[in-house]
This record gives sequence, structure tokens and C-alpha cells, in this order.
Amino acid sequence: MMTYQDTTTPAGGDGPILRCEGITKAFGGVNAVNGATFDVPRNKITALIGPNGAGKTTVVNLLSGAMKIDSGKVQLGTTDITNMERYKIARLGLMRTFQLSRELGGLTVLENLLVAPKVQAGESLFNIFFRPRLLKREERQNLERAVEILRTYGLFDLRDNLARELSGGQKKLLEISRGVMASPSLFLLDEPMAGVNPALIDKIGGYILDMKAQGVTVLMIEHNLNVVERICDNVVVLAEGRTLATGTMSELRENKEVVTAYLGEIINAGPSH
Amino acid sequence: MSQFWMAFGFGLVTASVLAIAAVGLSLQFGITNYINFAYGDFMALGAYTAYVFNAEIFHLNIWIAMIFGSVIMGVFAVLINQFLLSPFARRFNKSFYVLIVTFGLSLVMLNLVYSIWGANNRTYSMKLEIYKHIGPFLLNKYQIIVMIISIAIMLGVHLMLKTTRLGKSMRAMSDNTTLAMTSGIDTRRITTVTWFLSGMLAGLAGTVLGITESQITPASGELFLFVIFAAVIVGGVGSIYGAMAGAVLIGLATEISAAYINPAYKLDVAFVFLIFTLLFRPNGLFARPGKA
Repeated sequence: MMTYQDTTTPAGGDGPILRCEGITKAFGGVNAVNGATFDVPRNKITALIGPNGAGKTTVVNLLSGAMKIDSGKVQLGTTDITNMERYKIARLGLMRTFQLSRELGGLTVLENLLVAPKVQAGESLFNIFFRPRLLKREERQNLERAVEILRTYGLFDLRDNLARELSGGQKKLLEISRGVMASPSLFLLDEPMAGVNPALIDKIGGYILDMKAQGVTVLMIEHNLNVVERICDNVVVLAEGRTLATGTMSELRENKEVVTAYLGEIINAGPSH
Repeated sequence: MSQFWMAFGFGLVTASVLAIAAVGLSLQFGITNYINFAYGDFMALGAYTAYVFNAEIFHLNIWIAMIFGSVIMGVFAVLINQFLLSPFARRFNKSFYVLIVTFGLSLVMLNLVYSIWGANNRTYSMKLEIYKHIGPFLLNKYQIIVMIISIAIMLGVHLMLKTTRLGKSMRAMSDNTTLAMTSGIDTRRITTVTWFLSGMLAGLAGTVLGITESQITPASGELFLFVIFAAVIVGGVGSIYGAMAGAVLIGLATEISAAYINPAYKLDVAFVFLIFTLLFRPNGLFARPGKA
């Protein structure tokens, strides 16, 4: 069976896997994130929702190290990752996807997965020349795992295609499978269902539930409240860069502030949401 | 006809030297995204470092001296990147500023070589080898060894890029540095290793150029840089395999043309190729979207 979580990362332990305390980020004079505070419970799927411009993607960028935090603190497990370099954050077990899928277009689908594992002996010139056996063993293990993941995500037949040749939906799956290959403890998904057909939405929902079953914690930005209702255990609502509320979806429906700021808008907009 | 084949043989030798240099320059560009105008001076300094080990102080065999020269140039390139170019690249977003710095570095390195070794030609301490007919080609032992070294390096670079994590990480960085970082690739470390490798290749190319031309001069690298640019651009900027192919094309074209028109026009022939490539295939003959 495919295993996801690498328990050797500092993200292991008890308590919330991620603690975000009063983070702020301003662009010019505009406060995109204005003191967002929330916890991401371990081994659960948490949704990050809110109206457009609430600062959801900025929060994900700040958590993953893609942007510098102006003030506040982020803790992954017991490790303070505030403004840590993004490759170090990734190596600690926090992986992410993007709203518009990104792929290493000049690499094949298989190679996209093979670059993902956190630390590899093959990164060292010394090992390349003097420890070829270790490298071979490592490459074989990575290859076996990558093939297994590609089969699970239905990309095996495309393994030798360049990633740039894939369709939009396939790129979404590739991005998720590349994250899975890195054995994340916490996986941040930025609108994984955006722009994909209903059949694929169900499929991706299934993959996310499967990750949770394997011990991966997921924090996902999602506008599709049906999906949130169906697969998420916990919801964080952001508005104007602040945490408006946290709880289950049914609890939030009872929260007047949330209904006024976000849910009312969604309900009024009709069934497309 | 024999004149053609002789020129073809010389073309293969030139292509071999060119390929080593062009692959080094392409590796550097693929990772850093700026052109290093001091690359020719790295070649010259590498050639003179090998000269120190071979003829000036240590009197080592030329091939061993070449290895020393290359490794020292690898370390030198890492230091230059670490303490000069990287701080500029971090500070200024536009590669134009770094380009100007590499121009300045080129001048400093050229004058450094002039001040240490003077303007006179130097020659490596090597046994004189007579030219022999090998099939239709007329080559000497050193030229054949240089071709073998070049083929081995191309094969090594290919295997590294395709089969090792280091090579895949280099290609990932070349493709999308941000995404590479987000995937957990230590881009600073990969950049350092790339500079080491490209510095080594520059030193190696400078030395084998000195071996095949039977002399080294402080400006030999700078002059050769224009031919390297032609090979890299004809092949497709930033594409390692394009650089290899571009080197073969430019190497053969310059030497074969030299057999039929004045050899003084070699550089012009390379530039005619370059201009036509830019006119009709601006991304290079072998370029695909993305790099490496």
C-alpha cells in the first residue's frame, strides 16, 4: 500500500500540525493579510474559505515561504518556520500546490516526481563519483515509489511525456502526485478543484480523503462548498485578511457573521458555487 | 576531396573543444539566467593554471596538469559566484546589471593574466607528435585524445542530467526555479555545484584549446568566446543538447570553410551562421520550449 507520511520530519508529534499566529502581510498600503490566526489540526482536512480578496492565497504563500511574513509566527509541529527558506519548509514536510497548476514542463511526468523526494544522496557530486551503489539503490526506491503513485493517479501511461504536453486536469493530478511523492506531513492545496470537470472533482476529492487515511494533514483553499461539506473536517473562514471563524461547516452556517460576510454571498449567487 | 576530409577532421577537433566550452556556458546560463561574459577569461586562466603545473613550476604531464587546472578553475568559479555575482544577482532583479559585472570581471581577469604571464605566447611542455592519416583524416595523437575527452564529457554530462538527482534538479531549476524551490530543491547548493562544474569545463576547454592550437595567449579565451556564443545560440540558448549540436555545426562549418576560403574568415563564418539562425529560428536550431 502506498505510504504518504514521513514521520521523521519535525512536523511529527501531538497538537496541531500547524499554528499560525497573527500573521500579517501588506503590499504597499494594502493589508492583504491582517493578523490571521488559526490552527490546523493533525490528520484532518481543513478548508480555508472566504470571499475573493480575503487573503487565502497570500496566507498559503506565507505559510509555504513563497512570500515573507511582515509580522506574526508560523509553527510547523514544534519548528518555527516563520520566513524560513521555502526549500527548507518543503523538506520539513510542508508541500503545496498552486491555483493555476505549475509543472516542470521540460521534464517528463516521471521526472517531475523523481525530483520531489526531500533529501537525496544523488544531490552530491561526491556521492555521484564515490558512492554509486547508494545512488543506484536510492534511485531504484524512488522509481518504484514514483511508478506506484503514477499508477494510483492514472498518469502511468503518460510517464514519458513532457509535463508541458499534459491537459489542464492531468497537470492538476501531476502537481498533487508530485507533492505526494515528497511524503508531506502537511499538504496545502490551493483550489484543487478549480477549472476541472465534475468527474475529476470527485476523483480529486477521493485522493484527498485517501491522503488523510494515510496520515497526511491537508489544508485546502476551496470555493466549492459542496466539496468542503463532503470532505473537510474543519473550516477556517478568512475575511479581509483576518480569521473570521473556525469550526465545522454546519457550525459555520449558524454563525451570523460568517453568513453575512461569505455564506450569504454564496447562497445568493446560486447553485454554481 | 581529400582537402574536404582533412578540414572535416580539423572541424571535429574544433567542435570537440567548442562542445566542452559551450556545455559549460550553457549549464551556467540555464541555472543563473544570465550570460557570463568572463567565461572566455575563465578558459584562459584555466589554460595558464595548467601551464603552471605542466611547464612553469611542477613539470607534470599535460593531462594531469589539465586536471589540476580544471579543478582549480571550478573552485575559482564557485568563489566568484559566491562573493561577486550572486550578491549582484540577489540585489538587482535585472540580469543586465550582472552582465555588466561579468564584463568588468572579464577585463580584470584578462589583465591579471597579462600581468602574471605577459603578452607573449606560451606553449605546454609536450612531446612533438607527428600527424598521421586515420581514415580520410589527418590528425595527431593529442587531437585524438582531445576528441575522446570531449566525447567522454558529453556522455558524462548527459548521464548526469538524465539519471542523477543532481542533474534532474539542475534541469528542474533551469525549467522553473521557484517551483524547484517549492519542491524542496536546495537551489543555492545546486547553483554552487553548477558553477563548480562549469568552471571546471571552462578550465578544461581552455587547456585543450591550448593543446590543439599548440600555444596559449591571454586573449585566446576571449576570442574563442565569440565562437562559443555562436555555438550556444545556434543550438538554442540554455539547452545543453543544443550547445553540443551547435558546437559540432559551428566547428565543422568554420574549419571546412577555412579550407576553401581564407582561414582568417573563420570567425565571420560562425557569425554568418549565427545571424541566419537568429533570422529564421531565433530560439536556435534545436531549441524546445523551456531549457536544458
